[in-house]
Amino acid sequence: MTYLFIILYAITLVYFALSERVKKFIWLLAIQGIILFGIVFYSLNEIEIFDFIFILLETIIVKSLLIPSFLNKVRKHNQLKREDEPSIPVFYSIIVVVISILISFLLSNYLNDIHLHTQYFTISFASVIFGIYFIIIHKNIYSHLVGYLIIENGIFLLSLAVGNVMPLMVNLAVLLDVFMGVLVLGIFINRIGDTFNSVKLDQISKLKD
Amino acid sequence: MLSIIFIIISAIFIPGVIAKIKSKIGGRRMPSVFQPLFDIIRLFKKGAIYSPTTSIIFKIAPIIYFSSVLMAAFFVPMAGQQGLLSFDVDFVFFAYLLALGKFMMIISAMDTGSGFEGMGANREALYSMLVEPAFFVLVGTLALFTQNSSFQDLYVNLHTSTQLSIIIGIAALYVITYISMVENSRMPIDDPKTHLELTMVHEVMILDNSGFDLAIIHIASWLKFAIYGTIISNFVVQSSWPIYIQIVSYLLIQMGYASTIGILESFSARNKMGKNPQWIIMLSAIAVVTFLTTLIITQKIILN
Repeated sequence: MTYLFIILYAITLVYFALSERVKKFIWLLAIQGIILFGIVFYSLNEIEIFDFIFILLETIIVKSLLIPSFLNKVRKHNQLKREDEPSIPVFYSIIVVVISILISFLLSNYLNDIHLHTQYFTISFASVIFGIYFIIIHKNIYSHLVGYLIIENGIFLLSLAVGNVMPLMVNLAVLLDVFMGVLVLGIFINRIGDTFNSVKLDQISKLKD
Repeated sequence: MLSIIFIIISAIFIPGVIAKIKSKIGGRRMPSVFQPLFDIIRLFKKGAIYSPTTSIIFKIAPIIYFSSVLMAAFFVPMAGQQGLLSFDVDFVFFAYLLALGKFMMIISAMDTGSGFEGMGANREALYSMLVEPAFFVLVGTLALFTQNSSFQDLYVNLHTSTQLSIIIGIAALYVITYISMVENSRMPIDDPKTHLELTMVHEVMILDNSGFDLAIIHIASWLKFAIYGTIISNFVVQSSWPIYIQIVSYLLIQMGYASTIGILESFSARNKMGKNPQWIIMLSAIAVVTFLTTLIITQKIILN
């Protein structure tokens, strides 16, 4: 069952590359949150009630409800354009995401180590690479935030790949980091949006003391 | 033999059902299911008119297009029933038969010397080229999964019993359905009802064809619909079922397929022309992900 969610996660990455609408990014992030919950839920051998609540809080509540609704708020506040066209044509982005997924699957096959759960490593590596690529091709701070969240989802999966049990403290730290990151960046975007009436990165280069 | 008979029967009904569904949703009076058939009979009664700029290519292209599509239909099995012809790796032959027909239509469109038709031919060639990897990766995936390489054996041995094979089944269905939309020039790639030559893809290529030629081009398109509908139904209909259940479920799936096209075309808008290539390459991307899933199932990629 874990594989089902891993494959679905890979398909969401393809859709991230395909979509140009800001609203779709938010939807896809929410879906990724649910998929992450599925992956963790089916990978835990025995679930204690505390662990279950924590996972539920981290994936469903924060990743697929709180963060997307906050992002939506930021989108509305700044009156972002419906479409955020990347600087590289989508056609090439799809090829890049497919290559990154292929490389990460082949790399996992090659790594085949007993200390590493390669099934999670496959998609986490692809997710991190694609997150970085997503940040590079978009010129909008808002999309950079989305890219950051994709990378963060990849890191979440990486924590599953390297640990035999869910490292609670690590996850708690990552969760706090994401929450603060999104909150601070969101406020930052709002302030820039209020000052320049745009969240394009070109505007920031004009900043002076 | 049964497969080709049923492909022809469903080819007669599919365009009528699509038209019926579309007019029902659009709030218009529904035409008869046989209306497209009457139109074809009317076209057969007329003679063809050829422009003086065209050559022999324009005259023979519709016949070759029709015969290549009919030939391709011979290879498609229906549920457990064997196709009329079958050999190893026949899906490659199938794909290239369809490509031959398309190639003839493309050069015949360019033969007319019209700028519009050249543009349509250009688009058609691009989209067919882009959709080809999706088809081959998908059929390759199924071949790897079932360890068989002919259309017939591929479907007979396709059992979606485990959870991962269900993903393959669903992804394959999704990709094949949209490949059929691209191949048949329907939504969201092309709108068959568009009236502007600049926004046409397939329709602009056959603007100069008339009478008998136009009729057989239409029949070939219907056959293509039925072929893809049969390929889709093969994912669902199992060869172990009794024959009458196979036939009933086959016909139901064909009607469901036609209704889906009608509903899709009534409610969805066409893609922007510039966004079509990326949309088509997305199908290949999903096919590649399906391929990776098969590699995991067949343990070509070992993960722990």
